[in-house]
Amino acid sequence: MDREIVTGNEALALGALRAGVKVITGYPGTPSSEAIGFLLSHPEIWQKNGVHVEWSTNEKVAFEISAGAAWAGQRALVTMKMSGLNVAFDSLISIAYSGINGGLVIYVADDPGVSAGMAEQDSRGFAMISDLPMLEPSSVKETYELSRIAFELSEEAKTPVFLRLTTSISQSHAPVELETPYYIPLERDLILERDINKYTKAGAAICMAQHRDLINRLGKSGEVIKKLGLNELSLSKKEGGLGIIASGAPFSYLEEGLLLTAKFGLDPGEVSILKIASTNPFPEEEARLLLERSGVILVLEELEPYLEKNTLILCQKLGLKKRVIGKMDGTFDRVGDYGLSQVVSGIQKALNLEIPPETFSGIKADELAALRPITVCAGCPHRGTFMAINSAIRKAGFKKDQVMVTGDIGCTILGMNPPFNTVWNEVSMGASIGIAQGFKHAGFTKPVIATIGDSTFFHAGIPPLINAIQYQVPLTVIVMDNGWTAMTGMQFNPGTSEKFLPPGSKRVDLEKLIPGLGVEHFWVVDPYDLPRMTNIIAEALNLEGVKVILSRRECAIQALRRGERAGMVRVIPEKCTLCKSCLTLTGCPALSPGETAMEIDGALCNGCGLCVHTCGYKALEREEI
Amino acid sequence: MVEETSSPLFPFNVYLVGVGGQGILTIGEIISQAAFLEGIPVNFFPTKGMAQRGGFVKAQLRLGKDIVGPAIPEKGANLVIAMERSESLKAVRFLKPGGDFLLWDFVWAPTAVMLGKESYPELEIVREKVRVAGGNFISISPSLLPLHEGKPVPDNTFILGIALKRTSLGKILPFTSVEEALQKRFPRFSGVNLLALKSGFTLEL
Repeated sequence: MDREIVTGNEALALGALRAGVKVITGYPGTPSSEAIGFLLSHPEIWQKNGVHVEWSTNEKVAFEISAGAAWAGQRALVTMKMSGLNVAFDSLISIAYSGINGGLVIYVADDPGVSAGMAEQDSRGFAMISDLPMLEPSSVKETYELSRIAFELSEEAKTPVFLRLTTSISQSHAPVELETPYYIPLERDLILERDINKYTKAGAAICMAQHRDLINRLGKSGEVIKKLGLNELSLSKKEGGLGIIASGAPFSYLEEGLLLTAKFGLDPGEVSILKIASTNPFPEEEARLLLERSGVILVLEELEPYLEKNTLILCQKLGLKKRVIGKMDGTFDRVGDYGLSQVVSGIQKALNLEIPPETFSGIKADELAALRPITVCAGCPHRGTFMAINSAIRKAGFKKDQVMVTGDIGCTILGMNPPFNTVWNEVSMGASIGIAQGFKHAGFTKPVIATIGDSTFFHAGIPPLINAIQYQVPLTVIVMDNGWTAMTGMQFNPGTSEKFLPPGSKRVDLEKLIPGLGVEHFWVVDPYDLPRMTNIIAEALNLEGVKVILSRRECAIQALRRGERAGMVRVIPEKCTLCKSCLTLTGCPALSPGETAMEIDGALCNGCGLCVHTCGYKALEREEI
Repeated sequence: MVEETSSPLFPFNVYLVGVGGQGILTIGEIISQAAFLEGIPVNFFPTKGMAQRGGFVKAQLRLGKDIVGPAIPEKGANLVIAMERSESLKAVRFLKPGGDFLLWDFVWAPTAVMLGKESYPELEIVREKVRVAGGNFISISPSLLPLHEGKPVPDNTFILGIALKRTSLGKILPFTSVEEALQKRFPRFSGVNLLALKSGFTLEL
């Protein structure tokens, strides 16, 4: 046994290893990325056992690979953030209906309170739609345990199992007792089974039989969950008191909330608690016992009121009239994450306690802080692309507010912020190219530009580009290829240099792939070469058909980590007039106005030289180093 | 463990704020590791969604309780460590009355401020807000950062040393455990970081 501080993501990966998982796939996405990230930086734990760990092209591909391994009888884990689940869901629901052989666990990380951007989606709804069991730990320690147990449940009920974490658990660090050895290999006979009733959707009879089987498997999952005692019920001695139903992170605030409200009149002896680890299926029997014992019910869950609705339905079924405090009665918000204050205000409302409103209301000074819109790093190649787009629009004879520039997911979206204000919208992986076509078909005669990063393009940008080529939609697509999946923490992707890919991998070169699709106007440009980049975009804007510009230069942060710097920029103080054009146009963090001239932070400057082009007084000079 | 968790010192909550690249998360890791070495339960929750260079970063540490929600409630932090003046204002509402508010008074001005388009808060504003919140305000000027072989020592471990000496953190964690945690975190660069930690600890104000 090793006691170590690990994150929720690491605990999840380690729990799966302990369960003998053979295949682990996923696509990076905050707050889920560190599960696979941890494994890839610790190959010594799993490599010798022949475990396969990969970053896949997208979540659907990742899911299919893991599902294939599970059909073949092995245990498999697939990881993603909530947005990725939307991508994987087409295949996922089909496999749900078929069932699996080896254990298959789908890790999805939700982000209530939105620490990382994207829709504040509650993925528990997907467990309901697909009739799959979903387990939810309420701490890092429980994540380690449930990750292993999820595989047992999956194999016993022959179903894929969701494991859902939220940001505050997946990214928390806490001590966990880790069992040793970390990996226990399983002896498995591989399954090669031909059974179209199970493995295809050929006809109504098969599909409806599978639907029946699916529902039965969820019932079976409920039995296994009950046998394993995953949902914990503690009933008060006295009847008619407070019954609390809680799951996930909100449960972790409960002990503190009870201690605090006890000071204001709560009698702990009157509190019954149902801690739900299986969001789906809802543990009706335990909930019934809680309802029968309690006078008033408090449901603590973030985002959508799924547990609360199940509680209300159960009241109706049992003919019980109970007051249920939650979201449906307007007590709590469906937006944002929960903390101690929700727990306390819920108990207060349920028991009509008098708790001073200032208990959780500190002195607010947030609005006095300076606005700090995030921008691209010093030396970021995307800076060159954004600057070039802005100049090229003017150069091609248009105004900036006439030319739609669609945006995509990842660092490339930072072009939405000052000083560039280049990008107009952000939808989902790959959507920039599809949305842009919609603007053209809607009737816009002015040019439309789509911007997208390399990993995003591999993930879901290729199908909409194929569509644009097929229908010859006049469109300028700029693929901003920095060679890494940068925003989520510098994961490799199919286009990353082979030097940094796992041994035996082959790089997929966008320079060959894009012309191969039939794009007639195609350029490869270095975004540090601002004049050329600007000229090419301006030229593209006035051409017919589909134009693709591959703006290619490695992420400056990654290059710098290897000690590679493009150069150094120097200020010539006697020429500098402190007009600040360089700062206004680049927003580069390495630049700041000094007393008499601009100053450059030598530690930050990457020598990209983009600022040099903005200076009308030749006061900036780029030097090779 | 039992006597520690039942002590009035626990739970001990530390709220950390600053700007990406300042080493906020490293401070959190070192405190977590030191608590771990002391056998004190710990939950460390960094919010790093936008932790790239130049974005707002926060991290929350909760020490002394086995089952504890990751987020610190408003008015819940025994200690705030802020490493950038403007961002420090976002931590004021989390300060417990009577708690310590340690500000590394570094100014990392956003571009719009440098261009004169936006205003930037004066130090006195932070001091006043902390006073209203009932906190003990300690402001450290970055000019106090010592040099080692001509280069400034790491400011994050320097400020951690100051926190151990001048705030209630010192009652929770012995200096030696923090030293040990720091060596574990920086196996190759422990020298300069230990020096920074000691310089902060022995700093005369």
